[in-house]
Amino acid sequence: MAIYDLDAILNRYGDGFLILEFNHLFISSSIREEVWLLQRRADSVLVENIMREAEEFSIYDVKPDKDFDTYSGGQKAILACLLMLALIRSQKIHGLKLLLNNVLDSLSDDNRLKLFGKFKEMRSSHEIRLFTDTKDRIQEIF
Amino acid sequence: MRSGCSLIPKTAFKRYFEGMEIKRGTYPLARRGLNFRLADDLNFKNSACRFYLRGGNGFGKTSFLEKIIIPALKEDKVPYIYIGQDIRTQLYTLRALLSVQGIKVSDNDEVELLKLWIKKSRSATVFILDEFDKYFPDYGFIFDWSNAFIRTYIIVTHLGEGRSDALSAKYQTCNVRFDLTDFDGHIKNISVKKE
Repeated sequence: MAIYDLDAILNRYGDGFLILEFNHLFISSSIREEVWLLQRRADSVLVENIMREAEEFSIYDVKPDKDFDTYSGGQKAILACLLMLALIRSQKIHGLKLLLNNVLDSLSDDNRLKLFGKFKEMRSSHEIRLFTDTKDRIQEIF
Repeated sequence: MRSGCSLIPKTAFKRYFEGMEIKRGTYPLARRGLNFRLADDLNFKNSACRFYLRGGNGFGKTSFLEKIIIPALKEDKVPYIYIGQDIRTQLYTLRALLSVQGIKVSDNDEVELLKLWIKKSRSATVFILDEFDKYFPDYGFIFDWSNAFIRTYIIVTHLGEGRSDALSAKYQTCNVRFDLTDFDGHIKNISVKKE
């Protein structure tokens, strides 16, 4: 049995879902770089929005160029979710199915609830559906 | 599998760590922007115990493990097993480690790999799990494989205590709570206390 099998997740769900996976949250090393790569341009307003939202999750020491490796595991998971939500807003993406893999279990109860609140806002405005993984199947949260 | 390198001066170790006990006091980790105020002694040596470390994200649970607890275990030459959050890197390392020892491990069965490693680590008396429950919400098998030789489990989790069973009678449960006291723009003061 595999403990961690990214290929299996991608094969099973890669076509239908945008997947956020705990062990592969980012492709670069900082928020500024991540935004640049995903939008193919610098966007300081978007970065500032993410930083401001991060404070709601008690991530006070967030900075545009702070290395992701200096955040805790849970903080990284939150930042990845906020980044994704910010991009969905800015790109005006609708109807996306998001799959969080090993992400929610890394969050404290209060932060998990706050994050659900953020996703719920997007559900109505952007028709987003949120899923999470269990061991052998996925489950729709809302 | 992994271990941290302490930022606390050697002399401080002598003062703070007596046997497998981490004394109440202040533990600064300036490089990580954390200052722990440990309100209670944490005793890892007397009785069989499961310590559950809980608290908000970024409140230093993993840093406390890697920079305070593990150096203390090393100082006392206490063998330990550590499964950290980044299971991917550890599985690679584990596979390589067992291969070097001439043990054949199937390409696919990572649970078997983990079991082999634990079975070969019988000298360990402390088992540290950092959010392992995100991979296996019911990770009781870890206790089944190791309770014959492990006296102390130290578990970082945001979830429940896992299954309640005969082991609950064997091991005392001790919840250790991490809370943010204040943040001055650079350093987070974190209160660490038993519940």
